[in-house]
Order: sequence, then structure tokens, then C-alpha cells
Amino acid sequence: MELIKAEHRKLWSRRSTQIGVLVYLLFTLVFGGVLSYQWFSFGSQWDSYSSSFENHFDGYENIRRKQEYASQWDTITDETFQEMAADCQKRLLSEDAALREPTEWSVLNTWIRTLWPELEEADNPLPMIYYVNPEQLTGFYERRQEKLEEFLEANGQEGEEKAFFLEMNAEVGTNFPYRWTGGWSFLVGNAIESMRMVLGLLLAVAAAPVFAGEWHRGMRPVISVTKHGRRRTAAAKVLAALAFCLEMVGVTAAGSVLCQVIFLGTEGWDMPVQFIKLLAAVPWNMLQAEIYEYVFLLIGGLGFTAVTLLISSLAKSTFAVLVLSLGVLYVPMAVSQYLPLWGQKLLELLPMVGNSLDIFRTEVYHVFGQIIWSPWMLLAVPFLIGLCCVPAAFWGWCRRQR
Amino acid sequence: MELTIDRLTKQYGARIAVDGISAVLTPGVYGLLGANGAGKTTLMRMLCGILTPTAGEVFCDGKNILDMGMDYRDILGYLPQDFGYYPDYRAWDFLMYIAALKGIPREMAKKRCKSLLEMTGLAGAGRKKIRAFSGGMRQRLGIAQALLNNPKILVLDEPTAGLDPKERIRFRNLLADYARERIVLLSTHIVSDIEVAADKVFLMKKGRFLHQGTVEELTRQAEGKVWELRTGPKEAAFWEEKASVANLHREGEETVLRIVAERRPCPEAVPCRATLEDLYLLCFPEEERTPLDGKHGAAGAPRLSDDRRRNRWN
Repeated sequence: MELIKAEHRKLWSRRSTQIGVLVYLLFTLVFGGVLSYQWFSFGSQWDSYSSSFENHFDGYENIRRKQEYASQWDTITDETFQEMAADCQKRLLSEDAALREPTEWSVLNTWIRTLWPELEEADNPLPMIYYVNPEQLTGFYERRQEKLEEFLEANGQEGEEKAFFLEMNAEVGTNFPYRWTGGWSFLVGNAIESMRMVLGLLLAVAAAPVFAGEWHRGMRPVISVTKHGRRRTAAAKVLAALAFCLEMVGVTAAGSVLCQVIFLGTEGWDMPVQFIKLLAAVPWNMLQAEIYEYVFLLIGGLGFTAVTLLISSLAKSTFAVLVLSLGVLYVPMAVSQYLPLWGQKLLELLPMVGNSLDIFRTEVYHVFGQIIWSPWMLLAVPFLIGLCCVPAAFWGWCRRQR
Repeated sequence: MELTIDRLTKQYGARIAVDGISAVLTPGVYGLLGANGAGKTTLMRMLCGILTPTAGEVFCDGKNILDMGMDYRDILGYLPQDFGYYPDYRAWDFLMYIAALKGIPREMAKKRCKSLLEMTGLAGAGRKKIRAFSGGMRQRLGIAQALLNNPKILVLDEPTAGLDPKERIRFRNLLADYARERIVLLSTHIVSDIEVAADKVFLMKKGRFLHQGTVEELTRQAEGKVWELRTGPKEAAFWEEKASVANLHREGEETVLRIVAERRPCPEAVPCRATLEDLYLLCFPEEERTPLDGKHGAAGAPRLSDDRRRNRWN
């Protein structure tokens, strides 16, 4: 244990790690958390639509106004939906920007466009919510079911795959409990996912020198002749690096949840994720989705740390390890869009390369004749990759010492 | 405590770095002397268990060191030739880290670190980052880390490199105290350090022990092969080209040369008392002449003692 603590202290003592952590926390908790809630994302924009930076610094109060406005509708039925649309339309058409502010007009507009596309007026440049007759918005849940089936067919998902998602969707149910969706949409549909990119960079910076740095610093022989020797030291190094990843995800999750509780409160946790993407088939609520995304971040982070450790155990230059591990992370992300679907799906299985927003999608993998929903594969495969890389890194370092 | 080296060999492809070396080391200071590429570092690394020998074995009190594993490493201290360091660490943190690697309990480690920082003259620099250390300070820190676990076998590869004369004297005194009940093996290019500190010297060439014995026993082998020649400056240049010149200094109009040669180089040369450095030049004539040609010395040549250096260039 003392050895693991010593390796952990050493990892933290590096200036590159300290700077990396500072930048990471600034990005995720200050800019992506506090400032985003209070300013960029939820500050009121009553008199300005040009830039998020022109929002007022009143996110906390503005969120409360939005939540209060949304609380007048408890569940989504045809009647409540029509009322919401009518009220929203009235406010949008009024001259008073303060009336517009609490509405979720863009969300409603998306739902209307998705479920009632025939009501769209081709020659009308305004969003549908401005001109659609609310009384025509009927059959919300039936239409959602139809549109999901159409979407699956258009996506080439027929037969078993279609049945798989329709069966999944059957559990979604009707009469969605409704609260203000903006906060959860920001958190589950954007904020946690954006942490992934920066976390990958931080983990590469911190884990790259774990083994390669010993070569670089000429400390390999000194470590080899100590009582604990190369094996125990290698194990301690691996555990310290994984613990670092755990800490970073833990700190991020704790900080993010704290911001969430302060700014958003806890209401709306039981809303279905369909409020973020209407045609999602998964029968999860917002809290389940949030938990999944943190688990995704943790497992992806651990897997990516293990990959970086493996590279670090095989290379002598810390810089080369850094470049290679960032390559493993960002190159597949960059080239994925130019590949056929099977290639994209294959690359997404790499740790931190895949996207936690797959929970809103209808993607599957076929493994030994079984249909597996993509978010499970995006957890399982990076975990397995990490599991393989840890012993490989360990032996890579031990063997090279000879 | 006895360390037995039994026909130890290390071969890299066709090149033999260490060639069937055998020796028995009991408590005392052992000096390893040889040009670069003689196999000193390879031998030391095999003694530490870092390198696996191609053939041969090393026994510590009758047990093969590779089988002893952790038990052997527990009684071993090692300072490698190119001692690395962590620039972002403070000296104290670095020693505490090495103490953790050596399995020393935290409280005991604190006491050892404190005493070793004092012993190596770094007491005031414990809180200083290693990146700010001079070469000599880093070397002393390296010596301190090697001594952390109070090892019974201490292997030091070039421990005095980068130390100033005062630090070297302090180090030699430390070694003399330390080696009473322990085996200390040190290699250095500074012949005078070995002359003063070592109880027994191994002169190594091409992976083998060319000579071994006490400093007196070894210097005796150079007796009758060291000559002093007083000559003019032009002739001095001639002798520098032609012979192994161990020393050169001016006395008035005359140039006094110290020549190492099997036979009297010329009738005017008079025999003088041999030193270990002379024996070294006798065994490695090529290595000595190369740096003289290059004017500034070269890797592989032994460094002359400080006194002689002053004589040479003043």
C-alpha cells in the first residue's frame, strides 16, 4: 500500500499532471459547470440572441423561472401538449421578451416537426411553433410510435433489429411526467459528454510518463534493484495511474452533481430521456441516463489509461507515448466519419472514442448471433481492452528491464 | 558476508562484454578500474541482478542471487553510472519515494533520509527541487539513495563523477567508515580515488580482470617501468607522441616528463617510484595516448589526479 501511495504521490508531483488537472477542472467545473449554468447556457437572453456570452449573469434565477413555468403541466397528454403549444405560441407572438424566456419553444418545435411534419408550411420561414394550430396536435404517443417505426425502417433496421427496438420501446410507456427539460438536456445531452474529450487529454498527459518516464530519467536500474523490484513497482504504477483516473472522474462527477443540485435542484430526474430525443427507444429516465454517462466516462477513462500505460511500457520517450496515445484517441474520432458504418462502429468500441450519447440512438452490434444494444458494447469492450492492456503493460515493463 | 562471482559472462551477439570473471568479495572496498567498454558497468549490473548473465553465477553467502530475489535486493544498494532524477521532486520527497520502493517503514525512512541528507551535505537542500541541483548535488543525492536501506552490498558506478575535491574527500571518508562490515564495489575513472579508498583493486580490460590485488601489489607490477626524463620543450613534444607520458611539467627552462615504458626510453631517463596510475597507463597505452593527441582527453582515459593535472597545465 505504501508503494502505491508513493507512486501516486509521484504521479501527482509532476508539473505536467498538476497543470493538466488545473486546466481540466477549469474546463469541466468552472466553464462547463458554474459559469455555464449561471451565464453561457442559462443566463436570460431577453434582449439578445446573438451570442451566449451576451446572456445575463442570472442563470440561477432564470432557471427557477423556467422551472416554475414548466411546472404548470404535470404530464404530457394530448390536452396538456396542446395547452403548452398554445401558451408558447401566444408568448412567442407577444412583443414582451420576458414572456418568451421561460418557454421551451425550440423543444416543442422539434417535437412538432418530428410528429406532425405534414403541418409544415414550405413557404413559411418561421419555426412551426409560431403558426401551427395547437388543436391539430393530437395523438402524441401514437404518432411517436409510428415515427419510431418509420425511422427504424429508413435506417435500414428491419426484422430482428426493428423488433428489438420496438420491444425496448414498449417499456417506455405513455403519459410522460413533465418538468423543465432544459437543465437535464444540457447535462445528459451535452455537458458530461464534453468532459470526455478533455479527460482523455488529461489522462494521456498523466499516464504517458508512468513507465516511459523511468527510461527517460534513467531511473530504471535504480528501481530494479530496490527491495520491491520491478514487478511490485510496475503493479503499483499501474494501480496509481488507474486510481488517478478514478479520482478525476470522481471529482468531475462530484463537482458536476454539486453544480446540478445547486442550480437545477433534483426535480425532473424521473422524466423519460425521450424529452431529449423523442425517438429514443430506451426506457430510461434522466437519472439513469446520467448514471450511465458517468459510468461510461469512468470505464472509458480506465480503458484509455490502460492503453496509455501499455504504450508507455513499450516506448522510451514520454513525448512519443503522449503523441501515440492521443493518436489512439483522436485519430479514430477524426477518421471515423469517412468510414463505412461498420468501420465507424468498430472504432467507437475503442476506449473514450465511442460516445455516451449512443443511449439516445438505435444502434446495435451483432455478437455471436446476439443483438446487443450499442451502449452496452461501448461499456464492455473498452473495459475488456483495459483489462487486456493492464497485464500487457505490466509484463512489457518487467520484461524490458532484463 | 561473502559475494562469490563464478565465471560470470555476458555476451551481446558476437561481442563479449564480460568474459568468465571469477572473484570472491568479502567486507571491504573494492575498486574497479578500466577504460570505457572494459565491461565494468555490465559486471556491476549483473552483480545487482539487473542484467541476466549469459553464463556463470553470483552467490551471496552461498545462495544464487537470482534465486534470492527480494532478499538480495533488500541488502543491496546501487548507484548507476547515469543516475536519473525526477526534476519536479524535492530531495526529501525523492529519498522518501526510494525508501518506499525499498520497503522501509515511513517513520524509519524519515530518520534515514534526515541522517543521509546530513551525511551527504544536503541537509539544507532537502526542500529544494532536484531540477535546481548542481551536478555534484545530484550525485550526492544518488549516493544517499543507494545508502538508504543501509545495504550490506554497495555497488557504486562512478560515484565521484561531478564531485569537487572536498566532496570527494568527504565521500572517501564516508566509504571508509561504511565498509567495515560491508562489501563496497566502486568503479571510477579517477585513479586517485581508488588509490586512497580501495582495499583491493580489479584492473579490467576487454571483459576480464587483467590484474587484481591491493594498491601496493598492483603498483609493484609497474616498478621499474616508470621513468623521469628532463628535456627541452621540443623534445618533450616528441616524447608525448612516442611514449605514454603520465605527467609533464616545467622546471625553469627544463621540461620534466614522467614516462611509462617497459624499457628505459633513453639513457637520460632515470627510474622513479610507480603509482597505480602508471600501471593503468602501462595496461592501457592506447587509451592514454588518444586524449593527448586530442589535447583535451577523451572518454575511456583515466582522469589524472588533481595534483597532476595542475602540474601538467601550469
